[in-house]
Amino acid sequence: MGENGRAGRGSAPPFVVLEGITKRFPGVVANDDVSLELRPGEVHALIGENGAGKSTLMRILYGMYPSDSGRITIHGEEVRIHSPRDAIARGIGMVHQHFVLVDPFTVAENVILGDEGGPILQPEESERKVKALAVTYGFQIDPHSTVEDLSVGEEQRVEILKALYRGVEILILDEPTAVLTPSETSDLFENLRRLRADGKSIVFISHKLDEVLEIADRITVLRRGVVVGETTPAETSKAKLAEMMVGRPVLFRLEKPAVEIGEPVLRLEGLTGGRLDGLSLEVRAGEIVGIAGVEGNGQRDLADLVMGLRPLDAGRIVLDGEDLASRSTAEIRNAGVGFVPEDRHEQGLVLPMTLWENLVLGRQDDPPFVKHGVLSLRTIKDLARTLVRRFDVRARSIDVTAGALSGGNQQKLILARELETDPKLLLAAQPTRGLDVGAIEFVWSQILAQKAAGRGVLLISAELDEIYALSDRILTLYEGTITGEYPPSAPAEEVGRGMLGDVAVRDVG
Amino acid sequence: MAITATAPPAAGSGVKTRPEWLESAIGQGLALLLALVIALGLGSIIILLYGENPLDVYGSILRASTTDKDGPAWVLSSATPLIFSALAVSVCFKGGLFNIGVEGQYLVAMATAAWAALHLGGILPGPLLMWGVLLFGVLGGMAYAAIPGALKVKTGAHEVVTTIMMNGIAISLVAWALNHPLRYTNAPAGQNVDLRTNIFPANAKVPDLGHLFGYGPAPRLSWLFPLAVLAAAIVWFVVKRMRLGYEARAVGASAGSAQAGGIGIGSVQMKLFLVSGALAGLVGMQQILVNNASTNTGGYLPQNYEATLGFTGIAVAFLGQNNPIGIVFAAIFWASLSRGESILPLETNMPREFVIILQGILIMSVVITYTLARRRLERRQTGRVLAEEEIVVTQTTPAEVEGTTT
Repeated sequence: MGENGRAGRGSAPPFVVLEGITKRFPGVVANDDVSLELRPGEVHALIGENGAGKSTLMRILYGMYPSDSGRITIHGEEVRIHSPRDAIARGIGMVHQHFVLVDPFTVAENVILGDEGGPILQPEESERKVKALAVTYGFQIDPHSTVEDLSVGEEQRVEILKALYRGVEILILDEPTAVLTPSETSDLFENLRRLRADGKSIVFISHKLDEVLEIADRITVLRRGVVVGETTPAETSKAKLAEMMVGRPVLFRLEKPAVEIGEPVLRLEGLTGGRLDGLSLEVRAGEIVGIAGVEGNGQRDLADLVMGLRPLDAGRIVLDGEDLASRSTAEIRNAGVGFVPEDRHEQGLVLPMTLWENLVLGRQDDPPFVKHGVLSLRTIKDLARTLVRRFDVRARSIDVTAGALSGGNQQKLILARELETDPKLLLAAQPTRGLDVGAIEFVWSQILAQKAAGRGVLLISAELDEIYALSDRILTLYEGTITGEYPPSAPAEEVGRGMLGDVAVRDVG
Repeated sequence: MAITATAPPAAGSGVKTRPEWLESAIGQGLALLLALVIALGLGSIIILLYGENPLDVYGSILRASTTDKDGPAWVLSSATPLIFSALAVSVCFKGGLFNIGVEGQYLVAMATAAWAALHLGGILPGPLLMWGVLLFGVLGGMAYAAIPGALKVKTGAHEVVTTIMMNGIAISLVAWALNHPLRYTNAPAGQNVDLRTNIFPANAKVPDLGHLFGYGPAPRLSWLFPLAVLAAAIVWFVVKRMRLGYEARAVGASAGSAQAGGIGIGSVQMKLFLVSGALAGLVGMQQILVNNASTNTGGYLPQNYEATLGFTGIAVAFLGQNNPIGIVFAAIFWASLSRGESILPLETNMPREFVIILQGILIMSVVITYTLARRRLERRQTGRVLAEEEIVVTQTTPAEVEGTTT
């Protein structure tokens, strides 16, 4: 890193300087001699794969961990930050991925929590202050409303307000857009630009490269705990950043295999239950059908109904000519459906169980693995070793718990399990959520391999990029029904209209 | 970079670190030791406040259960019902169910077993009667556990609430049974006898085991103790090696993932309640089926039966960390402390309640040290897995990644 920073920006003296930060955990060097400068009035993106050490570095700055060695200087003065409280007192605030708000409290109550200004509360006074703060930075939020009534995007604004209320100069945001919808993301970016204009320094931790290129002034890339480069959006590109992160070129568009589209594998007719209201669709052999839609329009219900995880009010689920409606989940799986759930912790893996125990989940009734109610450990473990190798799940042994794996490896574990049975249909919901670029590439290649093998794939995703990269046919889901069908050549705006219900748009227009 | 030096080739092969199970066993062992040190340390403060020497007090507790006459026999016989009880609790707990109703289940089982002992004598000859009585105890426990099980599965009624209610009902049921169908008919003439059943036939009782090891009949160490140890082994096998145990653990740790994996949650929960009830059914057998040598009676169900064994089972299950083998040792340890309860007032100035306080402190220190040990273990595992992932990343070429597609 140059001493004077890069041309253009960086005329202001750095606010915080991290020098030679090293942090070891048992068996891993999370940060190895990392140096970083944060300057007022800029958004500094910190990117890297899962486990690259970005969160660790910022937790050190925020006083959550002590570093093993290295120096932190604020305004030229060397400091030791012992706790988050300490960090806040020195003007450093952090918003975590998982919010820590008190649901029944109002926005204002949450903002002042821990900084009430005395034993007697002054609700009007604090509401006024919070309101003023929100107006200053253009935050759309009512200090009066209760947190449990807020959307995720609004909750995030409360978290940011909490930090601003305490007068922070540096705001660390840990993967802030992971939980946001596209429109909430653009609202957030608007807020961040106001904060930057006001001279705040913002650290933006992410692995979504498009967003980083959009919002960042400077970008620092970490790989395996080491800074592999510092750049600016003008000097770099998505492909270059990805290569820096992963250490090899990454393909953002994979070749779709040319396969003859065959007979229907799955037919849903008038599926009703939960938010779904008479949904019909068809997936054919060798075809990937992408369900695009803003989250909360019935995606979860669609997956749950097909898998028999929630009762069907009406409709038919026909797999290869066989009606699966009102069958149990086990029967549906045995009929040839593989399932990659949108929430891999809640519906995919049993985190405290070992890899081999997770790999046999769903097959606990199958003869080679269970005989007379007794698990055949050797058979199961042999299978597990094979799958772990074939799907490149990186773990020391099949006896570690699934909870000890990174998100990408957990998803590989699920794919390994679900594809091993060679299902006729793969139901993949948000298959790359929270994964970094390398893992996304792997998951996509596996889904395309299913197509190449002549299987049907029903892909549900909130990422339009993903829908376009994989689908042969795009269906838009809005309020529980399919509002449109598009070829992958259709422009995104058109698909976007379908995602917003199309009908509603026409009514307004 | 330092970390690349230890690069492992791939998953599951040739890394020189301790296996996961050994690492966790060492961690748990240390945690237990630390908990003991903390509990004994805090206990020492109380002892000092009483003006006694901690070493003397702990010494007498230890002596009472080891070198004293029949000490080990006393300990093992009172550990017997605790093993069954704690196993019953732990089986449900594996599946995320909290069976507080072991108490009621064993009370009802004592009544059904007593009925069998009194009525099946003519049908089942010789030692068969004893097995028949045990079976009826098991069935009684299962039947009574099936009710909260069915309520949970069919209506979603929380098992903690229903089983607590059912415990109260069980007390009344046993009282009713003792007053009516099971009430004694041939009270010894001219004596005031407490309300109880008739004396069971001799072949309904479980034979004494203690005399084989030179112990007297007073401690009532019977063949039920090896049966309890066998039950623990069976529970271990079911939990670790059988489909039911696998499904139970999956349901307990992540109901959503288990369900998506095709496991019928209701069916697993019902089975767990039945297994738990069966084990609970054996809790009361030590007191009604083992001969009491001092009065030369025993083999009847009295009105003043020993209660709360079901609740103590929860503490013992906890101390044994719901591990069947751990439970056997926890029950023996718990029984040793309880043995000290009767010795303390005789040999020291300590009130007997000191032992109960000590048991409470022990449970709390175990909670703390086990949680710390588990966290530490998880961190180690996670750290190592991350480290290895990153190392292997550097060795993977795009060709390899593509090669993995089928």
